[in-house]
Amino acid sequence: MISVVARNNVKVRGSGQRVMVFAHGFGCDQNMWRHVAPAFEDSFQTVTFDHVGAGGSDLLAYEPAKYATLSGYADDLIEIVRELNLTRVVFVGHSVSAMIGVLASLKAPDLFSKLVLVGPSPRYIDDVGYTGGFGAPQIEELLTFLADNPMAWSAAMAPAIMGNPDRPELGEELTESFCRTDPAIAKDFARATFMADNRADLPRVATPTLILQCTDDIIAPEAVGAFVHEQIAGSELVVLAATGHCPNLSAPAEVVDAIRAFV
Amino acid sequence: MRSGPLSEDGPIAQAASASATESEDLFDTAPAGYLVLAPDGAIVRANATFARWLGVASEALVGSRFRDLLTGPSRILYETNIAPQLRLQGGFEEVALDFVGRRSAPLQVLANAIEQRDAQGAVRSVKVVALRARERRGYERALLGREADAVQRLHDEQSTAELREQFIAVLGHDLRNPLASIVGAARLLRREVQSEKALKVIAMMDVSVDRMAGLIDNVMDFARGRLGRGIDVETKSVPLEPVLRHLVAELEASEPSRDFICDFDLPEPVRFDATRLSQLVSNLLTNALTYGDPKQPIRLHADTHNGVLTLWVSNSGAAISAAAMQRLFQPFFRGEVRHSQQGLGLGLHIASEIARAHGGALIVSSNDTETRFTLTMPST
Repeated sequence: MISVVARNNVKVRGSGQRVMVFAHGFGCDQNMWRHVAPAFEDSFQTVTFDHVGAGGSDLLAYEPAKYATLSGYADDLIEIVRELNLTRVVFVGHSVSAMIGVLASLKAPDLFSKLVLVGPSPRYIDDVGYTGGFGAPQIEELLTFLADNPMAWSAAMAPAIMGNPDRPELGEELTESFCRTDPAIAKDFARATFMADNRADLPRVATPTLILQCTDDIIAPEAVGAFVHEQIAGSELVVLAATGHCPNLSAPAEVVDAIRAFV
Repeated sequence: MRSGPLSEDGPIAQAASASATESEDLFDTAPAGYLVLAPDGAIVRANATFARWLGVASEALVGSRFRDLLTGPSRILYETNIAPQLRLQGGFEEVALDFVGRRSAPLQVLANAIEQRDAQGAVRSVKVVALRARERRGYERALLGREADAVQRLHDEQSTAELREQFIAVLGHDLRNPLASIVGAARLLRREVQSEKALKVIAMMDVSVDRMAGLIDNVMDFARGRLGRGIDVETKSVPLEPVLRHLVAELEASEPSRDFICDFDLPEPVRFDATRLSQLVSNLLTNALTYGDPKQPIRLHADTHNGVLTLWVSNSGAAISAAAMQRLFQPFFRGEVRHSQQGLGLGLHIASEIARAHGGALIVSSNDTETRFTLTMPST
């Protein structure tokens, strides 16, 4: 059996008694944290990894049934923490990985001391009395639209191009590309992400939680961040000046400061 | 030529001004959409072409957020995947995007973008170029659809083929029982006093039973090979010549009108699976009987030399066509013969599989005077 470290392309850096584990969301890979994680390396051991299907993970480890729901991804996160013999880690999850961290903390509470949820959403599709931001048809369209985009293509083309001895520069360019995701897996991950409903899990969270909410985030709107805050008792909510869905890229310093103040 | 200092309206300034106007014109009317974005994604400038595609005035676009012009699915992908790439790589290329269009149909484009950063690495602006690509995108979508269909069909075919092969394996196995009963019945009849005619009939029955047993063996070996189990061989180092002589003797008995010429140079024992190699040689000889000129002899040659066994079977008759040569060792291939003589077309396929299982190869050569199948394999 392949090691968990290889399966999830786990990278451990930094030094310190405490550990911070960073998880990327749908559509990207651990490069998402390249401007945030290094800021903690002097006081924390930092762990970054790729979900199976993304970045440098082992695509052969992909099992459609396991990863059909976020629970499968949460199991991987628990395995990573256990494999590295860690306990009471600070977990930082962006986008869908915020909920993956919530699920993991419910399955194995001893492993997590704190949760930092960056742009969390327990449910993306609107429901009676709940605004997630998206209609069900939009999500169905997204699954179809994924076939048109280069996130899917670059991964599909990489082996063919990298095997082209006449044009080695192409392979090099692609190995350095970011946010690569296997096309079939990206579609499954999109389904697992955008069809999920983890609202009922939130009140069960007992781990101290910080919610980082962006301004003007269409993926996880402010009302959703407020909902998460309200449902997780004792949670802290910080609204960032950063706009969009990826403050870890657009405003890393603000994210670092908010996390530092919490931990 | 003027040699003095250049004045405001000098030719160079005029040329520069003309070129600025030209650039401005190119920006606005180029057959591509141009956009300049602020670091937060707000549109600072949009050209006339892009505004026309969207059915608005270009001034109306200024201040809008780029992502807000996208359709829902496009927007989700942009925020989760494309915008991060733009930030991490400083740009993106050949990204498929859909903008909310004038009517119900979206404006489909392929877009490239590049970030402009200052000396401190902060993003100053983002330049986007979009090419309308409705046909191209439709074509790609259709290709993906066809690919998905083809994969599905292939998958269905494979499932059916596997079922069929399992069926063949079971059928072959079940056919052996009644055949064993016929063999037993013939043996019982032979023990009793029979007329001369009945004895001939019993002998014919024996020949037919042998042929049928051979066919069943081939069918089962084929099915086993197809089901991924391959042909197993259990090799022993023993003299080969008696095995070959026995095979020829059997055929001489059942085909008294045909001539066989043997030529063996086998001083050393050979390492082989007696049952399998017999099957291989028998398949080659049967093939020669079926396709060769009945008036000409069939030749069987075997020798060992430098650790290599070379064995060939040849017959006279019409040459095998180049097209047929290509497919000769494929299952279910049959040459042009009388219908009554047709087998399943598995004999040569299985012979070549047996050759392979022995670490050897079976090849064919054919011309107007002779068709020859040659087996080469390690003899030790």
